[in-house]
Amino acid sequence: MTASADPGFGTIYDIGYRHYEGPRLGRQGAMAAIFSAGLRAVFALGRSARAKIVPWGTVVLGLAPAVVAVAIRVLVGDIVELYSYESYLWGIGALFMIFVAAQAPELVVNDMRHRVLPLYFSRPISRVDYVVAKLGALTVGLLALTLVPVLLLFAGRVLAAEDVVGALGDEIGALPGILGSGVLHAAVLASLGLAISSLAGRRAYAAGAVLGVFLVSGVVSAIFAETPGALADFSPFLNPLAILDGTREWLFGGSVAESPVGLSDAPLWTYGAATLGLLLVSWAILALRYRRVPT
Amino acid sequence: MPLISTRALTKRYPGGITALDGLTVDIEPGVIGLVGANGAGKSTLLKILLGLLPATEGEARVLDLDTATQGAKIRELVGYMPEHDCLPPDVSATEFVSHMARVSGLPAGAARERTADVLRHVGLYEERYRPIGGYSTGMKQRVKLAQSLVHDPRVLFLDEPTNGLDPAGRDEMLALIERIGREFGIAVIVASHLLGEIERVAGWLVAIDAGRLLRTASLSSFVERTGQLLIETDEDAAGLAERLVARGIDARADGRTVLADLSTGGEGEFTVYEAVRDEAVALRLALVRVEARRHQLEDLFRTGGADDRVG
Repeated sequence: MTASADPGFGTIYDIGYRHYEGPRLGRQGAMAAIFSAGLRAVFALGRSARAKIVPWGTVVLGLAPAVVAVAIRVLVGDIVELYSYESYLWGIGALFMIFVAAQAPELVVNDMRHRVLPLYFSRPISRVDYVVAKLGALTVGLLALTLVPVLLLFAGRVLAAEDVVGALGDEIGALPGILGSGVLHAAVLASLGLAISSLAGRRAYAAGAVLGVFLVSGVVSAIFAETPGALADFSPFLNPLAILDGTREWLFGGSVAESPVGLSDAPLWTYGAATLGLLLVSWAILALRYRRVPT
Repeated sequence: MPLISTRALTKRYPGGITALDGLTVDIEPGVIGLVGANGAGKSTLLKILLGLLPATEGEARVLDLDTATQGAKIRELVGYMPEHDCLPPDVSATEFVSHMARVSGLPAGAARERTADVLRHVGLYEERYRPIGGYSTGMKQRVKLAQSLVHDPRVLFLDEPTNGLDPAGRDEMLALIERIGREFGIAVIVASHLLGEIERVAGWLVAIDAGRLLRTASLSSFVERTGQLLIETDEDAAGLAERLVARGIDARADGRTVLADLSTGGEGEFTVYEAVRDEAVALRLALVRVEARRHQLEDLFRTGGADDRVG
């Protein structure tokens, strides 16, 4: 548009400052804003294509086996056994870690590093509200991996059956376990990932730290599993995914052949206790970390 | 109801540092300069007023809300621009300011509209769509101001808003602050250690020193005439002072300047001016400056009962 000489057309008038008379949504509005912006950050919406590779790549990889298995069942017929829900969740566990390692730092590191937090804290929220909203965003984002693929498998099992109503009757009992396991995995991994990320000064360090914790714990756990005696019983407790699998089995039943939980003689409730411990330690780290941020 | 009132407000940090020491002050709307040297307690006061720091003793109210119990409500109606850098480099000003508007409680649509308005008011145009990381210091300060203004606060707390700006940027920032106070009708508290800047925008001053109230008064009373004539010359000031004293005028030399009391020397201040003229001619002195001296804000910290360490 060119600056027109014709008055009244194409002219920008300075209408002065306008006051805002509309609603103020206060603390809930503020938390909703942080949550939704967080969810966008988790999936790199509004960011470069490069930033989208990890979150969308892992989601696609997490869905692929379920899509393929269901497609074969529908197109070819009953030639392969469909995965059980719990072994599917265990099978794509490595993707959860990559997702958390890449996306948890996106949520918290820059606000801390560039001292944006004082701007948040000068608004109608508390420090706890900020952390809760961020934690919520990562947890809900993670459901795309810990819940959506398993739900797809569920839908496939039901819809690919010849007797859909009968299949629904057979499968519906697994639904609470699917939902519960998905939320459990998402909430615990999000807490752990956010807690570790909050301690790092840069996003790359944070991602490395999260991945390091997951990898090292997995390797050490595998080594312990090979040693005879009490150490082997203890080995699953070094691996967050194994702890989560044990808790899942304790709450909803169904064991996974590949999981180290089966190799240990530890009673299942101890996995539940370990999960609770992971959550509490993560939240304590977050609470202490954010209390120390100067206003 | 004053905009802000504090009663015996005291803040002691662990480790024995007393940042505020029994501060009692009432502040009325307008553009208010909160002046004091670095470490005088300005930032601590702002944080207590935002409800972010608990006071050790005493109480403070903002917009008749208690900072100790109604902090969240206060922060909904107050804008805050911190002294330090506080902007993420990888988002644009538009994205960032509209996000902060929503975090202040504005619905998404209103946040977008007001972001566009406010960025225009602070003077950010095409560049507002580019990542903040590439902005100049002046542009960053404008974004910081915009985020504090975007939710249309009733009061604005600006902590050293001209920090890091070049003279032109400083002028523009001060002009903006003045406009916000006068045209937008938003009360502005400007904390600064630069008295010369505060002098240009504030109508009222609150001077604090070592956590105590030094003085609070309108700017005009801070800088009223002192009743002294200041004469600056480039040579013998002592000689001029001697001759003035000989004519019955209370005068003393200080380096290249002479301060003469306008109430002495007989028939009103005009006789003092005449005496200065005549003696300067007699001494063949070149005068650089002759003016009625006004109080300088700096005097506050020299004579107002302040400690010597504040200069």
